[in-house]
Amino acid sequence: MSHSDGEPTPFERVAERETSRTDYYREILDRNVVAPLRILISDTRGLFGIGSILFFVFLGTVGVWLTNQPESTQYILLPPFQDAAHPLGTGRYGNDVLLQLIHSTPFMLQMIAGGAVYNITMAVIVGTFAGYKGGRIDEFLMTIVDMIIAVPALPLVIVLAVIFEPTNPIVVGIVITLPSWAGLSRALRSEVLSVRTHSYIEASRTMGLPTASILRHEIIPNLMPYIMINFVNAARRVIFASVGLYFLGVLPTSGIMNWGVIMNTAYETGSLYTLDTAHWIILPMIMVVWLSYGLIMFGQAADKVYNPRLRARHATTMTQETARTEEAES
Amino acid sequence: MKERLHDKSNAQQTQDPIYQVRNVSVAFDMDRGTSRVLDDIDLDIERGEILGVVGESGSGKSMFADSLLNAVVSPGQLGGEVIYNTEDGQSVDVTELTDEELRKFRWQEASMVFQGAQDSFNPTRKIRTHFVETLDAHDADIEDGMDRARELLSDLYLEPDQVLNSYPHELSGGMKQRTLIALSMLLDPEVIVMDEPTAALDLLMQQSIVRLIREIKGKYDVTIIFITHDLPLLAELADRLAVMYAFEFVEIGLTDGILEEPSHPYTRALLNSTPNIFAPVEDMTAIEGSAPDPVNVPTGCSYHPRCPMATDACVESDPGYYETNANHGVKCHYWEDVDNAIPLQVTADETRQVDVPAYGPVAMGTDRTPVLTLDDAEVHFESSQGLFAEPDAVRAVDGISLDIYENEVIALIGESGCGKTTLGKTAIGLQRPTGGSVSFRGQDIWDAKDGHGDVEIPHEAIRQSLQIIHQDPGSAINPNRTVRHTLELPLKHYNDELDMGDRQARILGMLETVGMTPPEDYADRYPHQLSGGEKQRVTLIRALLMEPDLILADEAISALDVSLRVEMMDLMLDLQEIFDTAFLFISHDFSNARYITEKSGGRIGVMYLGEIVEIGTVDEIINNPKHPYTKSLVWATPDLDETGENEDVPLRKIDIPDARNPPSGCRFHTRCPEARETCARKKPVLVGDGGNTHEVSCFRDVPNHEYWDSPELMNDEPSDETPTEK
Ligand code: SF4
Ligand code: SF4
Repeated sequence: MSHSDGEPTPFERVAERETSRTDYYREILDRNVVAPLRILISDTRGLFGIGSILFFVFLGTVGVWLTNQPESTQYILLPPFQDAAHPLGTGRYGNDVLLQLIHSTPFMLQMIAGGAVYNITMAVIVGTFAGYKGGRIDEFLMTIVDMIIAVPALPLVIVLAVIFEPTNPIVVGIVITLPSWAGLSRALRSEVLSVRTHSYIEASRTMGLPTASILRHEIIPNLMPYIMINFVNAARRVIFASVGLYFLGVLPTSGIMNWGVIMNTAYETGSLYTLDTAHWIILPMIMVVWLSYGLIMFGQAADKVYNPRLRARHATTMTQETARTEEAES
Repeated sequence: MKERLHDKSNAQQTQDPIYQVRNVSVAFDMDRGTSRVLDDIDLDIERGEILGVVGESGSGKSMFADSLLNAVVSPGQLGGEVIYNTEDGQSVDVTELTDEELRKFRWQEASMVFQGAQDSFNPTRKIRTHFVETLDAHDADIEDGMDRARELLSDLYLEPDQVLNSYPHELSGGMKQRTLIALSMLLDPEVIVMDEPTAALDLLMQQSIVRLIREIKGKYDVTIIFITHDLPLLAELADRLAVMYAFEFVEIGLTDGILEEPSHPYTRALLNSTPNIFAPVEDMTAIEGSAPDPVNVPTGCSYHPRCPMATDACVESDPGYYETNANHGVKCHYWEDVDNAIPLQVTADETRQVDVPAYGPVAMGTDRTPVLTLDDAEVHFESSQGLFAEPDAVRAVDGISLDIYENEVIALIGESGCGKTTLGKTAIGLQRPTGGSVSFRGQDIWDAKDGHGDVEIPHEAIRQSLQIIHQDPGSAINPNRTVRHTLELPLKHYNDELDMGDRQARILGMLETVGMTPPEDYADRYPHQLSGGEKQRVTLIRALLMEPDLILADEAISALDVSLRVEMMDLMLDLQEIFDTAFLFISHDFSNARYITEKSGGRIGVMYLGEIVEIGTVDEIINNPKHPYTKSLVWATPDLDETGENEDVPLRKIDIPDARNPPSGCRFHTRCPEARETCARKKPVLVGDGGNTHEVSCFRDVPNHEYWDSPELMNDEPSDETPTEK
């Protein structure tokens, strides 16, 4: 290469002054955090989803810190909305249902996060790698995936639960959804197969970028809407599986407080058959449905966050000029 | 003085009009207002003529086709009268027909051939079924009908039985399009409306089909309305031309009249912007501005925002048709002055000297070292047909040797499926050759990658030196990332001594260099906020940021508008000078290949079925083509001045043989008009005539070869070819 003499070519240009780092980071923050958030809350579903999730997080942190552990009291099976001291009533042992629900939240949230993150990570790594690499690697990985899919999930989980008796919420989350990443990774793989036909992937390969970098920068961002929806679904699967398994009493319940356990206790003390105790089992159910619905709404709205058109429109650092072009285009 | 015709009819002297189109408009109601995609059209179509309708995309030309058959889809509203006159003197208004009458009318009186034959056939049914069903639906005699179908197919250079027994996917694009023409003529219609029937095909195929359409028209006595954006194509086909702009015809006249004395500024601009193989490259100019929006057509003359001659009068009053002579009408107030105001630039001068290249050195001396060397490179793809069949090898690249020198521009041309893209990708190390070798400055690329032997240049460095620009700018940049982010990645990877500020400065500097200003604004855009040309610039920058020694431009400008192509090629050449790179430019278009190689003093290589059949400088290839295939490609490239109505297709067959089973001997012998018996047995090699850059692979270039004594090859030799899939 011989452009050393005379005028520097644009290629040899270096900065005349330091770009202010704060400016740069402010812009990154704007594009990656502020703009997506704005898109999310500009949508009713997103607002509801984010609101619900924040509410539960609040409950599980500040709420736990503010309130006492539920204890047995003399008021047994108090119906809700009767006593200001126990707004949601009490259970058979006289413990406050509201407090029970609040103090179950941290366990639920940790379990959900553990299970969902584990599933998505496995699925994304295996699915995208197999899809992008193709050939032998793909065949090998997909054979394993197919074998996992072929194992019936429920019996496996029950067996594992009985053997390991997990009590740590994160471990519980992982155990109860152990094989479900396999189906997801297969679905992701086929998405990758279609993304990888784009010529920008070939361009990146021509530039000699390493596989991990191509996956991270070129492939996964394009699958994000899909991954988000599946993340939400995985989270919901953790909730339902845990509630179901605790309710059935498959998982160890002693010393653990979560919504499934509450329902299990309520059931075992016969509250399914009398109306007086119905609140004891219905209230945790409402929590389950609410959180699950909030997650669905969040997932649907998150779809929009990954739409570059919307993202560009909501970034404030975008110049007037660009904004106008945008307008003219639409 | 100017003579104004009765208001706005352009009814020229037609003796026996088959169509009389009166006040026809098509409107769509949209949120933004009424969208008029056809604006009060009057036109007579003479029985038995070929009328060429030319216009840019979005000018309303397809709507015109639809309205002739009353096939405007709702919610479009068709207004006005479309009078159709049958041969025995009856007149019907097509817009008034009932559904049942229309159904009959559409196949028996007027039929239509759309672009994209792909979608016109049901992929699960054989071609024969399509013919039989059409006959059946119109209660025609099946046996007579199929006889006619066979005749039509063979008139279109197809083998009737083979085609009828195929499924649509087994036919090549050109075959499908011809089959569709045959199908449209099955019920002996009087009129055929063809809407861009050749748009997706190679030039050679386009030209061949155009010839066949002329022949067929003579034989079957039909009227043809041929709609296209491609003016040169019509030059050789149409009797009359109608130029469409902003949803109306701005100029109508005999083809010769329009080409020789175009009287509307738009027609002139269109002619001047058309790349022409023989016109001096400096003379091609783009049309400024863009076509109007159907909701907001400019007042007065709709062309005034783009017209260099526009006056206040043009803004205020809509010009009617002025008659320049009995056969030529034009919608422009100042048509008499256009000659001086907008000179025509197309001059054909075949003996013209090739200009001294504006860039780079002329070809090469032997002392220069090549950047890249292909030595007898082969790429054979296995294509297995089902589980138990023997896998067929597609010989995409078959024994090609080529040296690419420092700063050289080489253009590879050939029809689709000839292997030029595979060759390009092999050259830059994206495709591993199945035979032969590819080396970069003497280092075998794949040895470097695998770590075989002494690796002098590490693979990483080679990888960086060979870059690519893709055909479709839409798919070449990640839609989820800003321009800045896209360009940062290669810099981060290869230039880690640059800090963040330097990277930014470099990216902005590059954006500015390619004319994307203000660069700060462009850097933060997402791809959807860029035009096609701008996206292509970003991919060009991305490739250049790697400081490559060779860039493969794979049909890099084909997806751009014609008027943008010249600009993009200029930019590539400008940057080439700054950055010292060689270009391997792949194109199916001779005009583009010529433009870029002529300006840079490069070479053109002609590929046919995996082989290079001729290579040389622009002058050698364009003005002195030696290989019969090159000659046919030159023939097929639009040349406005050569009317050549009686010139036959310079090929014995118009379809490319199957690459899985290439012909013996000279691969071109099945289509070569000069083929002799030797050609079917022996294979010519690519040779030059001593110290020259011009190399040809044809026996005709070898004096005293046994070719000259061998008998001519018979046309009807049995052929074992199966149709190609491409
Ligand atoms: S009428 Fe005026 S604006 Fe229209 S084409 Fe003629 S000179 Fe141009
Ligand atoms: S060798 Fe024969 S068949 Fe081949 S191009 Fe020359 S004349 Fe034609």
